[in-house]
Amino acid sequence: MSISEGRILTRKAGFSVSEAFGGFRLWWLVLPAFLFFLAFFLVPVISLLAISLNKTVPGVVTLTSNLTLDNFVRIFTRAIYYEAIIRSIVIGVVVAAVALALGYPLAFLIAKTEHPTRNTILMVLVLSAMQLDMVIRMYGLMVLMGDTGLINSALMWLGITSAPLPLMYNTFGVVVGLVQVTLPFMVLSLIGIIRAIHPSLEEAARSLGATRGEAFRKVVLPLSMPGILAGSLLVFALSISSYVVPALMGGWKVVVLPIHIYQQIAEAGRWQFGAAVAAVLFVTSLIAVFVYHRAAVFTSGGRT
Amino acid sequence: MSDIRLVNLTKSYGEGNAVSDVNLQIGEGEFFSLLGPSGCGKSTTLRMIAGFIRPTSGQILVGRDDITALPPEKRDIGIVFQNYAIFPHMNVAENIAFGLKLRKLPKAEIARRVTESLKQVGLAGYDERYQRQLSGGEQQRVALARVLVTEPRILLLDEPLSALDKGLREEMKFWIKDLQKKLRITTIYVTHDQDEALTMSDRIGVMSKSRVVQVGTPQEIYERPKTLFVTSFIGHSNVLDVRVLRAEEGSALVSLAGQELRTRNGGGLSPGAAAKLVVRPENILMGSALGPTDARLEASVISEIYQGALVRYRLKVGDQEIVAERQNQAHVERFPPGAEVTIGWDPEWSEALVA
Repeated sequence: MSISEGRILTRKAGFSVSEAFGGFRLWWLVLPAFLFFLAFFLVPVISLLAISLNKTVPGVVTLTSNLTLDNFVRIFTRAIYYEAIIRSIVIGVVVAAVALALGYPLAFLIAKTEHPTRNTILMVLVLSAMQLDMVIRMYGLMVLMGDTGLINSALMWLGITSAPLPLMYNTFGVVVGLVQVTLPFMVLSLIGIIRAIHPSLEEAARSLGATRGEAFRKVVLPLSMPGILAGSLLVFALSISSYVVPALMGGWKVVVLPIHIYQQIAEAGRWQFGAAVAAVLFVTSLIAVFVYHRAAVFTSGGRT
Repeated sequence: MSDIRLVNLTKSYGEGNAVSDVNLQIGEGEFFSLLGPSGCGKSTTLRMIAGFIRPTSGQILVGRDDITALPPEKRDIGIVFQNYAIFPHMNVAENIAFGLKLRKLPKAEIARRVTESLKQVGLAGYDERYQRQLSGGEQQRVALARVLVTEPRILLLDEPLSALDKGLREEMKFWIKDLQKKLRITTIYVTHDQDEALTMSDRIGVMSKSRVVQVGTPQEIYERPKTLFVTSFIGHSNVLDVRVLRAEEGSALVSLAGQELRTRNGGGLSPGAAAKLVVRPENILMGSALGPTDARLEASVISEIYQGALVRYRLKVGDQEIVAERQNQAHVERFPPGAEVTIGWDPEWSEALVA
């Protein structure tokens, strides 16, 4: 009863707002944002994607009317390129999974911490990880994980290993770097969702006969799905589009799509081919959004 | 189904006690209410029984079993929450089947019992609905069905009506009571609403400041309050300053503004001491309505407040004010402001309590 009343009220409120602003005139308020978005995002991105349909001519950026799919054919027929696509996706999925595994317990703890001071301290810890520039954080990781870094020096000094472990300049290093960068995004996506799960739901499950683990699996986890999906999508998208982390932690040896884009455009001046790789990266992200949407519909039990 | 006993149940947080030394015995099939203002410890008591809070000391016994240390899932105690706690990611049928699936019952048996219990709560055909498609009253019924289908030994209800609007609350009050009577399930009902407690309960335990201050039938609680707290929390009462003249077993003689009155003795009175005389407005008789054995006082009318079915009088005796209520019936005597009137009451309907 109260729910339907609420709906009516919302509708009334929405109606009166649009009435006051004359409906159409409200749109003028978003005009500046729209113009900014148009000028500095849509136009450059579309023109970049457009030149991917031109034949690759080093040093030339101008769009010509001579359209061809040559660049894309090359990407999907040369192992070096299509393997990079797969590598990017696999790294993105692994980073999302690791960030979820590490982030969920942390988010759960923060969400369940009612003590205001402790809660603030935990939030500051999470947010402070985002405050330092990514390049600086990566150099910090390199100090830790390099062949003569803290971890390897310590292991060898203790006599546990005789040669340095390969912690960096490989996929492992890239994954560690990306998890470090993306973990706060995962945690922030989860906290709000977990906090919104009323404690009485878990208690109801318990008193109906569920153990702590069963109550988590059957009630808390399914209700966390919106946060898990949103966080995973965010982390995946950040990971596959990251250039700095694979460059520094992978030492150019872990060749993912952004590395190709950089090499093609900045080093070889092959704008058209770089644009084609960028288009592939963009479509990969779009597919992830689509998968996310389907998963969201599925896990919500068709309650959309 | 079972009886339940709380033995010296105590929960302390830091320095203060949320629940102090609560002893209660609730019989099989009984509808027992814990009534008190917010923060009195009634919800903490309920949550200890459910197993969500570990008591600091004391015991909880169901039948012959000591369940004090058991986790909630092993207690076989059902609870309905104030917000109903319907699982939003499951439909009504899945919600109700939740406890049965955990008990690993065969599928056909689960389906049969879900259908049966939906019929029992008057929601046949609601299987496929989700929480957000249900009204407050319907959620309430689903929450009850979900608990009752598992046939718990004890049913706990935590302010289950407080989220409903008034009309529905009245309806659900009688509906829950009828269902409880039919199933004969031992029920503990937590509420701050005296109307709910008085209409639904077999017995009421009034709680104040972490303690149970009085246990009794609704009639005993209303008519024979043992403390000033119970008096003021349940219904309206005149609480008057008196001096004890004589205290005997069960009755006492007190003086109020120089006039002598016989009254019941609430206990602990000593001659010469100050006390409080408690009498409810509806029990005060005026003028010719007084009988020969009634306690009498001379009073003057301050004002007459007409309320339709009731007429309320503000009266003055000495420097104290008394409120009296009279049914507005045919031929009822009316008293204008300023009138001198004899008022009084049956001594059995007033109580002298230690001040």
